[in-house]
Parts: sequence; structure tokens; C-alpha cells
Amino acid sequence: MNALFKPWSNTLARLSLAAVALGAVGTLGGMMLYVRSPLFTQVGDPIEQPVQFDHRHHVAEVGIDCRYCHTQVEKAASAGYPPTAICMNCHEQIWNKSPKLAPVREAFFSNTPIQWEKVYKLPHYVFFNHSIHVAKGVGCATCHGRVDTMAAVEKYSSLTMGWCLECHRNPENYLRPKEEVFNLKWESPKTKDAAVKELMSHGIAKDAADAQQKLALNSDPKIAFGLALKDVNGVHTRQSCSTCHR
Amino acid sequence: MATLQSLPVFDENGKIKERPMSVLWRSLEERIRGGADRAALAAEFAPGAAELPEANDGTSRRSFVQLMGASAALAGLAACVRKPREQMLGYTRQPEGVVPGKALHYSTATFLGGRATGLIATSYEGRPTKLDGNPQHPSSLGGTGALDQGSLLQLYDPQRANTLKYKGQDRAFHAFLVEQLAHSATLKANGGETLRFLMEPSTSPTLSALRERLRTDFPKAKFASYSSLSAEGWHEASEAAFGAQAEARLDLRDADIIVSLDSDFLAGLPGTLTHQLAFANRRDPKAGEMNRLYVVEPGMSPTGGMADHRLAARPSEMTAIALGLLGRVARFSKAADLARFAGLNSTLSAPQAKFLDVLAADLVRAAGKSIVMVGDRQPAAVQLAAIAINTALGNTGKTVRYNKSILLDPNDGPKGLAELVAEIKAGKVDTLVITANNPVYSAPAELEFGKLLKTVPNAIYLGYYDDETAACANWFVPLAHDLESWGDGLAVDGTATFQQPLISPLFNGVTAAELLASLVGEGDHGSYALVRGAWDARATALGLGDAIPASKWEQWISDGFAAGTAHEDVLSANWEQLAKSIPANAPAAVSGVEGYFATDYKLWDGRFGNNVWLQELPDPVTKITWENAALISPATAKKLSLAQNDVIDIKAGERSVRAAVFIQPGQSQDTVQLALGYGRTGAGEQIALEKGFNAGAIRTSTNFWSAGTVEIFPVPGTPHKFAQTQEHSNMDEGIKRSIALSATREEVESNKLEEVNENRGEQASLYEPVKYDGYKWSMAIDLSRCTGCSACMTACQAENNIPVVGKEQVARAREMHWLRLDRYYVGSEDAPEMIHQPVMCQQCENAPCEYVCPVNATSHTDEGLNDMVYNRCVGTRYCANNCPYKVRRFNFFSYTSDYSDVEKMVMNPDVTVRARGVMEKCTYCVQRIERARIETRVAGTEIKDGDVHTACQDACPSKAIVFGSLHDSQSAVSLLMKNPRRYDLLHDLNTRPRTVYLARVKNPNKELA
Repeated sequence: MNALFKPWSNTLARLSLAAVALGAVGTLGGMMLYVRSPLFTQVGDPIEQPVQFDHRHHVAEVGIDCRYCHTQVEKAASAGYPPTAICMNCHEQIWNKSPKLAPVREAFFSNTPIQWEKVYKLPHYVFFNHSIHVAKGVGCATCHGRVDTMAAVEKYSSLTMGWCLECHRNPENYLRPKEEVFNLKWESPKTKDAAVKELMSHGIAKDAADAQQKLALNSDPKIAFGLALKDVNGVHTRQSCSTCHR
Repeated sequence: MATLQSLPVFDENGKIKERPMSVLWRSLEERIRGGADRAALAAEFAPGAAELPEANDGTSRRSFVQLMGASAALAGLAACVRKPREQMLGYTRQPEGVVPGKALHYSTATFLGGRATGLIATSYEGRPTKLDGNPQHPSSLGGTGALDQGSLLQLYDPQRANTLKYKGQDRAFHAFLVEQLAHSATLKANGGETLRFLMEPSTSPTLSALRERLRTDFPKAKFASYSSLSAEGWHEASEAAFGAQAEARLDLRDADIIVSLDSDFLAGLPGTLTHQLAFANRRDPKAGEMNRLYVVEPGMSPTGGMADHRLAARPSEMTAIALGLLGRVARFSKAADLARFAGLNSTLSAPQAKFLDVLAADLVRAAGKSIVMVGDRQPAAVQLAAIAINTALGNTGKTVRYNKSILLDPNDGPKGLAELVAEIKAGKVDTLVITANNPVYSAPAELEFGKLLKTVPNAIYLGYYDDETAACANWFVPLAHDLESWGDGLAVDGTATFQQPLISPLFNGVTAAELLASLVGEGDHGSYALVRGAWDARATALGLGDAIPASKWEQWISDGFAAGTAHEDVLSANWEQLAKSIPANAPAAVSGVEGYFATDYKLWDGRFGNNVWLQELPDPVTKITWENAALISPATAKKLSLAQNDVIDIKAGERSVRAAVFIQPGQSQDTVQLALGYGRTGAGEQIALEKGFNAGAIRTSTNFWSAGTVEIFPVPGTPHKFAQTQEHSNMDEGIKRSIALSATREEVESNKLEEVNENRGEQASLYEPVKYDGYKWSMAIDLSRCTGCSACMTACQAENNIPVVGKEQVARAREMHWLRLDRYYVGSEDAPEMIHQPVMCQQCENAPCEYVCPVNATSHTDEGLNDMVYNRCVGTRYCANNCPYKVRRFNFFSYTSDYSDVEKMVMNPDVTVRARGVMEKCTYCVQRIERARIETRVAGTEIKDGDVHTACQDACPSKAIVFGSLHDSQSAVSLLMKNPRRYDLLHDLNTRPRTVYLARVKNPNKELA
């Protein structure tokens, strides 16, 4: 009688076992990768809005400050998006017949809100506050990217918990002088000389010697500069759960 | 299960140290079981808590697990779906001052019993989410009662009536106005002879002005007020003593000896908030001289629980006791005015006589600094005796001032209603305007008001719900909530108080003023114009010119009241009249079992029946939720062979009511206490429907507060099931522990606080203690101040989005209150002392819950808070098992997912709404801490002591709860930490709780020891 199982059956059995194990790990791993990928987090997806508002024009060309429209970024949890009346401050005068602005005029005169699409959405159990971050020297561009280069605003940061914690653990990598918070073009000094200059120009260091001393904490000028800012801005990042979850 | 024993403690000589231990008990069952059986109480969960919701639907635990396994696997896939897009809908024109996400605060007021309680409302984008007392307002001084807190939920009740109806048909408000205006022309022709008003008791200057105008237009019209909680005896007594309707204004700040004859002034009910604070401020012997409280009452109350000496007396014995007290005070004080009463000597039992001897001596000793206060349900003779004592001892003008009543209809008792009923019967009433709250339900039974109301052709009822009265009146007009409309009224001291709306009427409601104005053709003017107009008309009288100046008006509205409008209109008692009206002999005590009525702590006169927060709030004394009960003393129950949960018929004359028995320690003998406000049958109030029984069914105009002799007939059949929280969350796990401690004044003064001292201080540990830099949040709760009024529980519910679960779930110990009020008895069943203890998460530094969480969903902050992260929690409930204080609550169901849009409006946006399968607990209102932290750090400052208040602390009328940081050695809470009365709950477990308690102090009179 022929053997029921041929010799290669052993190999098949081993391979099947390995496939099951790998499949389980792979499925789990794949899912974990997927929720972190831009495919899921939607980072980099330009979002179509009911009104084609172009930040490139308003910010880069016209030079409007972020706070002109996002009025409460310095005093509340939400940065705020502009009431239609703010659009109409200018567009009552200019481009007041433009068909592109028809939805804005319609919303304004019928007193119905424009339905802006949300770009950044936090889960309901996370409480983020703009005012404290802005007050401590986290720039708009740090989390939102160069909106002055975006035709339609896209998500720049994943908003995963790991992303939040990265900055809360190492804030020195992300800080800027308070005066530069709303300056989208500002970049961290790359050399020690630049860092010294930056510290002096913002009045953080009295003179070059003082600046050198403030930068002595780390050999990397970028990090040393961040550490100096952490000190001067009074940054005390917290990682206790209730900082964000209440 | 083995009996648990506490570990022995050895003294320096190696001998087992006897630990001092006060013996507390929570219920009669626990007391009777005693000893080793107590281990049954130590089960991890209350019986049923771990069971499936419907145990008899055939679902087994096994099949449940199978189903859940499959759902869990599928739920994992749900995370792979891309999040749906969401839209943001902003303002078109953002109102000035509004910052979305930031709360605004406005002063406003609520009115119960006609008197104003000043409030501060918190509003998010036009949506009021929290009420607190107005610290500047003389009626609240910052505190609130449970009813004030609960009134917020009433605003968002989806079952509120929202359409004006005529004989059940929807009508527009405008159509109503047109019709009433036309009808008022016919009424004018007969001078208003057939026009009657049945009003909610009120002090509103606006309503007063409108009534004057109505009197001019309809000179023969009549006004009456009705409240089912009216102080009948007081009306009669004040007429006799003062020749006018008076009110007693109490000031307990300087009262050394306080005698309460059935006055429940510490229960957080309307009008008592300031008394609670004044009383509490005199309860620490180290902070000043202590007051002493004597209470004589028929049933157990929070006030009785605070008493230094309490005497349970039947309602029909109260007159004898009051006369006995008056006679004794007359003999001891030798006051000339009282000489005529020196011969008064009523028949009393030996303990009663002794109690009164000591009490009278104390009263006389503290003449001018004492007070006798009498409850609303006491008859005229008791009220008169108190007036005589207070006047003769010189207490008037100091601890009590008798003033002319500020109510528009000072007598709001059944008399006016009875007259109205007689007129309806005689066919003399064509138009009846009712603004009184649901009189068909609450009117004395023999008046048959509902039946008669149906015969009034133009009956107009202004009501909040489609209730019993709405079913009988031809016209139904929906009433606006206090937070939806403008209004005014007077506080207890006469201060004019303004009610400012925070939101447009959600259910098309109108105010009483708008309804009255409809008869003079101004029904469409809106509540603001009516209030403002009435005040402008008074401007000249107030010396403010032709109209109230805008700046003045804005100041008043912003303050919530018109400063300086408190006024006195003092009346003094006429001794001749007093002598004539005080009977020489008390009527004989009622034979057999005596029934009497009580004001409910939660539903008041029944108007909060549809309020789930208040329905689920455990009664401060019985700890029963969702219903009332017939309260009977243990000895009486034995005599009548009744057991807990037995169903009985209570028969008074021809009327009878079916109720369930609850055996209440401390209840007077041969009495049954019946709380009013339950057993509702209104069509539009599904929550209130048939919860408990309607004690009003055996209530008549003559037996308004006492039902007289009642017969009790047990009803055979299945016993009733109460959903009662008193044995839930048991902390002593079968071993005796020191939990709610009390001491006498002598013990505190001589620092003999052995049990308290045993329960605090560092304990040996193998680990280095954790160091906390920066803020160290902590809370101190003074049991000497806490009366158990439960305002804190409702405030916590409002602040923290805590769901209600319903009677069936409460019975399974699944109530969700983060803050619970434990009530313990000390001493005998018939005359126990009662002590309340608020217990919420103790924020242990060595938190037992944190060690057992498999997913780190509960962990410690750098400031010592025990955080709870809902989104991390997988619902193992290990933490709740391991929590010795039993303060963790589990979402067995999704209690909030079926909320309608209007119900969601009450939610605090700063607190996560929890989902099913998640553990939750008190966080010290961490959202308020974080808000203060962010605000101060943006401003570059630090949180100062007093900047952060927890919701329970804000609500507490007695200021029993103090919260703050220990890093500031001078903060209020730091100072209380060093108080000799301070102790830690379950100190022997070395959990190092951040919440500490201060033992209650009693000030007993040695002569009654």
C-alpha cells in the first residue's frame, strides 16, 4: 500500500505552519502599518473646499497674517476658522462680483454657514489647545506645514499619538522664537553662527558670549538652539495622560 | 468565603494594640446580619452587577462571550476604514465676546416657592451647560441645592410640551392671543366677575405690575396662589400673631442654640442655602464657639442627622412638645411677657420631658443668641409657641426677623383653592388662568379639582409638560424655562433678582408674565419688554428718573440682582393675640398609626418628576432612587408584622393609596411618612409616569400635612423591589474599619482623638516615596459641615457628563455617580445618629487600581492625579475590583448613544462622553485644572489657591469640600491637612489618598448624656 503521506508532505506541513504564523503576523503588522500610512491618515491629500480659498494668494502674495482669519489661536483651544463676515471685510470691496466668491456672498446674505471641509480632525477624547502651543513657541508651520505654498490645504501631520509625543518628549527639536511663530518661512538655524545671530536678533542673548553660553548644552546647533528656547519660552511639556485625555 | 480579618497592630511592647473603632451601620439588614455573615457583603460585585442585563431572556454567559468574540474580531476591521469627512459650520457673523470653545458666564436666577435663587450659568456658544450659585447673591452665597443643579436638565428635556393646544388641537400662539383679546372684551363688560387666576407663588415685580393692570381692567377678578407645599399652619399663626401674613427671615450666624421643630433647614431645599453655610461655619470648635442643634422631628432628615440631640416625635405630639417647651421657657426665663404661659404643662413622656427641660434651659441661657425654627408642616400652635419664645427671649431682630410676606399672594395654601373650587361649582367662573404648577395633581383630593377644571369653558393652563392639569384644561400653553426667558423676583431678603435668558425658547414656551399680558393686549410684547417696562414704571419710585438708566440696568443684569433693594418690613407679635391663640392644652395624640406627608428632596412638589438626574439621585436619607416609599420605624413594622418591601394599602377615611414599605431607622413610632410628588399620571411625562405612589391621594384640605389615623392593610403577593444604593460600594469588606468618624467637642478641644490619630500619618514602606514637584492636587472634606444634601452629586453629574442608568440598573449596583454620598447610622435602630460621607476617587498616591490595569488605562500624573484614559480602557474591570473605596464606575451599556440632539446640548464639551465597556471615575475635575493651567501659563503666571474649584466644591452650600494644591503650604487645603480632625479613609491600606476627611464634631449637652 502506498504511503498516505508522501515525503514532501512534511515540507508542506512546515510551510503551511509558517504561512499561518507569518500570515497572522503579517495581517496584524500590515494593519498597523496601514493606520500609520498616509493612505489612512490622509496626510498630503489636498482637500476640496466649497470655496476655492487659496492660501498661496492670501498668505504669500497678499501677506495676510494667520491671525487675521484664525482669530482665536492665541486665546482658545481651537484656532478658529473665519466667520463669513471676515471674508466679506475685503470681498465687499474687491472681487465683489467674482463668480468664485458667489458661495461666500450667498452664505453671508442668507446667514447660513459655509460648510468648510475639516482638514484636521481629532478624536473626541483628545483635547488639544492651540493657545498654549502658540504661547510657548510652536510655529504654525511646525504642525500645519507651509500652507502658503498649498493651493488647497492638505493635512501635513498625521496627528497620531506618537506624533504628539515626539514633540512632547523632545520639544527642543521643534521650538522657535515667539516672534517667529506666525512666520511660515522661518527656519531653524543650521550652524552655530546662525544660531548665535538668531539668539541675539531676538533679544534672547545679550551678546555673542552670552549666546555661546546658552548654546553650550548641545553640540548640534539646532538642538542647542531649541534647548535655549525651551528655557527662555518656559516650555514644560507634559506627558501625563490627562494633559490630552479628560 | 473565609471571613476577612484586619491585620493586628503591635505596640512598642510587642502586644497587640486594640484599635479604637466606631461602629457604623448602613442598613438594618447589615446590622441584623452582623458578625461573620458580613463577609457576604464583601463580594467583588453586588449581586447581579456582573450578570447580563436581562438574565431571563435565555442568553447565557457562554453564548454572550461567543457573540462578543465575533464582534470584537469584526470591530478590529472597523479601524481600517478611512475616517469620513466632516464639515465645519461656523458663524456668519460671530457675536461679540463669543470665542467658540470658551465658556461665557451669565448671572440669572431660578424661582422655587416664589423666591429667587441667584445663579451663574456657564454657556458654550449659546448653550447653557452648568449652573452654579451666584457668590454675590444674598440667597445663595455661591451654593446651590440639588434642585437648582437639576433644573438645567429640565431645559433640555425632549418630553417638554412644545405646542399650544386648544382641546388637544395645535394652535399658534398668535391665534391664542387674538382669541383671548376678543374674549377679554366680554370679560371687561362684566368687570371680570367670571375671571379667576390660580397662580404659582411669586414675588415678581413684573407680575405684580401686570396684576395691578388686570385689577384696573377687571376689578372683580380674583387672584389666588397655590403650592402643594404651602405652610398651612404658618399662615394661620402669622395672622394670629401679627395680624398680617408674615415670613420668618432667619440668620443663624449668631445663633448659639438652634432648635428645629421639624424644620429641615439643612437639606439644600429652596431658601435654605444660606442657613446651611451659617450653620456649618459654627461647627468647628477650633475656629470659634460651636453652635448646638436640637431637632424634634417625626422622620429622619438631613437636619436630624446633623443634630447634637434629636428626638423623634409623632406629628400629633408636636403641639404638646411645643407647648411644653413654651411653658418651660416661661418658667426658666421669668420673662414678663411669658408669665402667662408659665402654667403651660402638656402631657409628655419622661424622655420628652427630660429633653425639653435641658433644651429650655439651654435656650434661656442663650437668650438673644438662640432660635426656635419650625417646619412648614407644623400646625399653628407650634408656630405660635416658637414666635412667643423667639420674641420673649429677644431673638427677634438678631437670629430671626418677622417680616411682612413678600409673596404676591402670601397665603398659597389650599384655602384659596377651595374658594375657587366652590365658585367653579357654582358656575361663577368662565375664564381661569392657571400658572400654578400642576394643581390637578397636587390639589387636595376632596376638591376634585381636575373634574371641575374640565367644566371651565376658558381654562388656560401654562405648564411645562403635558401633565395631569394639561389634560383637564381647554387651553394649554407651554411654559418657558427660566433659562429661556426674562423674569424677575425677590430673594429671601427682598433683593430684586433678575432672570436672564441664555438661549431662545427651545419648545416655544412663554412666561407667566406674557400669559397675563395677553389679557391686556400685550401678549406679543415678549418677556424682555414686559420686565423692562415694569421696572421703568417703578423708576420714579426708586428715585431713578423716568426710566431705569441703561447703565444701571446693565449693571443689575450683569450682577444678577439690584444691589441695595433688600428691605425690611418688620412685624412684631401682639402678646394679647398670642395669649388668645396659643391653646392651653394640646390636642390628644392621634390613636393608632399616624400618616403624614413630606416634601421630597428630589422631586419637590413633583415638578422634577421627569428629571432623570434627580430621579436617579439617591434620597439623602433612605438612599432609594426612582420612587418614594412608606417609611415606618423598625418597632412599628414589627408591631404591624410588616417587613421591608411589603406592599400595603394605606387607608385614611374613605381614601386609600398603595405603597411599598421601607423600614426607616430613626422614624417616630406608630407613624408612616409619605413623600409627595410621585405616582404621576401625566400623558407627556414618560419618565415620571407611575414612579412610586401618589401620597396626595389621601390628602385633604383639612389634613393637609397630616393624614391623621391611617389603617394599614398588607397586600399579599410579590414584594416590591426598591432600587436602593445604600449597600452598594461597600468599603469594609466584611471587616470593621474606621470610615466616617465623629468626635465630641470635648474630645476635639482636649485633643483626645484616638481613632482619628490612628488613621493618618506616614506608614512604613519598602519603597522610596515618589517626589512631586509643582502642583500637588488634594481635597479635604469636612464631615462636620456635610449635611448630605446631595447637591454635589448632581453638580458632578452635570459637569462630567455622567449618564443615568434607570431603576433596573441601579438595583444591580450599576449607578454611574462618580461622587456618592454614603450614609451611616450610629447607635440604636430607634434613635440612631446619622452621618453622611461624600466619597469619590481618593486619588491615591499608591493607587491599587493602577497596579492591575493590563493596558495602562489608569496611571499617575506628575502632580499626583490618578488619571483615567477612556480610549485606552478595554473594560477588564480589574481596577474596580482592586479599588478599596469602590469609586470606579463601569459603562455596562452605551448609556448616551441614544440621546436626541436636544439632550446632547447639556453635555460639557470639555469632558469626553464615554462609550460602552469603559471604566470611569472622579478626576478632580481635571478639565478645570487643565483649563486653569493653560490660561495661567499663557499669561506666564501660576495657578493660585482658589483658582481651580471642583464642581462638587462649587455646589456645596456648606462649603464642606475644599480643593487645592499642597505645594503651597498656605493653601486652604494644606492648612486643613494639618487640622487635628484630619484622617485618611482606609488608612491601614497605605494607599496614601490625596482626598482626606475631617471628622465630624458633635456638641452634645452633658445633661442629656
